Amino acid sequence: MTDHQWSELAAAYALDALAPEERERFEAHLAECAACRGEVQALHEVSVLLADAAPVATPPAGLRDRILRDARQTRPIISGRAPIIPWLAAAASLLLALGFGYVYLHERADRQRASAALAAARDTVAARDSLIATIFSPDVVTAALATTGKAPSARLFWNPSRHRIVMAVFYLPPAPAGRTYQLWAIAQGKPVSLGVFNTATDGRLTAAMEVPPGLTFELTAVTEEPAGGSPTPTQQPFLIGKVTPAD
Amino acid sequence: MLDDRQGQLRAPDRALVERMSAGDERALGELYDRHGEMAYSLALAVARERADAEEIVADVFGQAWRNAATYDPGRGSVAGWLATITRTRALDLVRARGRRVRAMERAARADADGLASPMGAAADPPDRRIERGEARRLVTRSLGELPDPQRRVIELAYFGGLTQSEIAAELQEPLGTVKTRMRAGMEKLRGSLAVLRSGGGS
Repeated sequence: MTDHQWSELAAAYALDALAPEERERFEAHLAECAACRGEVQALHEVSVLLADAAPVATPPAGLRDRILRDARQTRPIISGRAPIIPWLAAAASLLLALGFGYVYLHERADRQRASAALAAARDTVAARDSLIATIFSPDVVTAALATTGKAPSARLFWNPSRHRIVMAVFYLPPAPAGRTYQLWAIAQGKPVSLGVFNTATDGRLTAAMEVPPGLTFELTAVTEEPAGGSPTPTQQPFLIGKVTPAD
Repeated sequence: MLDDRQGQLRAPDRALVERMSAGDERALGELYDRHGEMAYSLALAVARERADAEEIVADVFGQAWRNAATYDPGRGSVAGWLATITRTRALDLVRARGRRVRAMERAARADADGLASPMGAAADPPDRRIERGEARRLVTRSLGELPDPQRRVIELAYFGGLTQSEIAAELQEPLGTVKTRMRAGMEKLRGSLAVLRSGGGS
């Protein structure tokens, strides 16, 4: 199933050792390959365990107090689980770098003690974490796609400045053999393909897709197409969503 | 520790995180008591400066405090979550300071024993819970049992934050060789650490 080239990348991906272009290519592959997702998941768990290989060092005595003191000056951002969270987790699962995601949500008034270096570090994280960053940008617009019936639904996060979309799909059974799903942007009445995708056996998918720079659209739609996708939709869309501004 | 299985004996880590999300500072203190050393050790292994490691760990726990509600147990253990944040922070700090190459040179020079030297296990404080010590020893030993070339590429990636191409340049080896070693090493670790990989499940 998993051919040699891709599974070689899986180990490097789990260690976050791919160059950015390679990582993006692999993520695109991951979106369509359950075998590689499983591989990455397992190898990522291994990489997380490597933290234990660090030589043991004892933290300075005052560190605990300092952390508690800092905590008293800030409150947890969200109490209780906000509806966005499962989305966030789903999106993060693709990157498998949860830390990057969590880095994103916070940043508040307790900055005074954060050194300039750490501020710069946050920028680095921002640059690297394209998937999460796509979602958490002020200009992000979203579209919820739903059927007239019940089951499948999808949600898009479109980040115009990064030309990227993050799509999360639920309850959509995998396309039959030889078929694929295709996401369309409807720009002034004309469908423009944003890419093909398929869901896992659990009916879910989270994937990032490129949006052609300069393309703006009001509607998004999903159709089922022959494997590889079609230049224009060959079927009526079964999911349609209107793009709504973030605020 | 990187797994939550000690849960039978005390509140599981994720219960602490839940309390944190409700604003319970004592839960944060307890989380630090459990994982502060792991985070500090990791931060120090990456950043190589004690003052930086302290900043990183303060930041990591501050972040865990603020974002406790975003922790999703389905995605892995609390310790894994903290380790991931710690590593990311530490690498970013090192990168921001342009210190990475230097740190890596040191790591490469020390390659004869590397990070998986017995030093890790030997320095284990005696009052550690047995399970924790055992897991750590298993990870250290498994890494130490890899052929040196495989272990080095994994250490340079994990602790050094180097990409495969950077590792190839650093070691003056062909990229293909680095890729093969990284994969082979990770596959071996996957086998030898299978017993510890309880966290995220798949």
